[in-house]
Amino acid sequence: MTALVVGLTVAVALLGVVVAGLLRSHAEILRALHELGAGREDTAPGSAGGPVDLPFEVGRGVLSAAGGGAGVTGSAAPDVVGATPAGDTVQVSVTAGGGATLVAFLSSGCLTCHGFWERFAASAPGLPPATRLVVVTQGPERESAGAVQRLAGPDLLVVMSTATWEAYEVPGSPYFVLVDAATGRVAGEGSATGWDQVQRLVGEAAGDLALARSAGAHHDHSHRRDAGDGPHREARADRELLAAGIAPGHPSLQLTADEVVDLDRADEASQPGGHAGAGAPGRD
Amino acid sequence: MLLSAHGMGLDAPPGWEVRISRRTAAGQEGDSRTRPVLHAATVALPVVRGDFGGGVTGLLSATDLFVSLFEQGPDAVGTALFSDRGRPRPVAADFSPNRLQRTIAGQSGGQWFFTEAGRAFSLYVVLGSHARRVELVNRLTGVLSTLDLTPGDAS
Repeated sequence: MTALVVGLTVAVALLGVVVAGLLRSHAEILRALHELGAGREDTAPGSAGGPVDLPFEVGRGVLSAAGGGAGVTGSAAPDVVGATPAGDTVQVSVTAGGGATLVAFLSSGCLTCHGFWERFAASAPGLPPATRLVVVTQGPERESAGAVQRLAGPDLLVVMSTATWEAYEVPGSPYFVLVDAATGRVAGEGSATGWDQVQRLVGEAAGDLALARSAGAHHDHSHRRDAGDGPHREARADRELLAAGIAPGHPSLQLTADEVVDLDRADEASQPGGHAGAGAPGRD
Repeated sequence: MLLSAHGMGLDAPPGWEVRISRRTAAGQEGDSRTRPVLHAATVALPVVRGDFGGGVTGLLSATDLFVSLFEQGPDAVGTALFSDRGRPRPVAADFSPNRLQRTIAGQSGGQWFFTEAGRAFSLYVVLGSHARRVELVNRLTGVLSTLDLTPGDAS
């Protein structure tokens, strides 16, 4: 009897350990799936069996001056060089035209891409003015030129270039990169499941770029106006002198250029490591 | 980057758009003999365009250029029109608004016929501005200096 009770106790304890281990393993799997993004959209009511509407996630932002490799928003965008499905050799300049270029990285095999191919073949892409579309597939060594040619409409610019995929560090298809022709830099990039998403976000990005350009043009115009000859330059000089505390009648204005240099040297000698002072005219 | 196809090569700098293709010869069927043509421009080249810049030259601003290098059929080799040996070296004085295939106010054009590598070519160039032809021809010269024509691809 005692042996039976001990045996049952041991069995229950072992089963408890097994169940605990299974629960822990299940929890780890769920956590890993959650980190990968599963269950965000496809568990939403009404989404079962339908296409998953993932966010476009375009990385838009202020264009930085940092250089480096392309493929990251703000980086320099290389031209697209490759072959067309018909066998032409092409170099497509992403900066030609002065607007923007949307580079769509598609493949003939991916199911999501087929929606884009069909959309492009059916009608014009409907992008903002001065924005053109260039579709880039991998090169003929990885894609069937015939299959790409069948998918592409007659007016669609398609370039087959594995080098371009590598240059833009494309993680997979479909993938979209928007290049600002004015700066030659990547203005935004990301993936999408539908052309409507891309259109909307490209429209927003194009609007942002136009605003940034107009602000830059205003700044440049003001700067050029100040830097020019005549009354604007005189007004700028007056502003800077007044900001430095030099008003009309200031003694420094009575000095010759040589005397000003001598005065600066004397100041530097009396203040080791210090600056000569902002009030010295003619040093800017 | 050097682009090369159909016995034509060009190493255009970034910002230039280049296509080297075969076009259906006028009056022939699509699967018949075709002629290589090289287009280069500082504007976006439309997918559908004429051999001599139809659909492109209207897009040129005052700082833009369009180049068309068209290979004629082998029967043109040795004819008087193509008697010049070696490629031309255009200078500003060669350009004139009345040498355009399609007149657009302000633009300027020039055309040359020559034979190189046993092949007959016509070179047609449109400058976006006749007034700025000296500056534009300097840019043209830099690109044309990279042109590479090899024998054996005449069609």
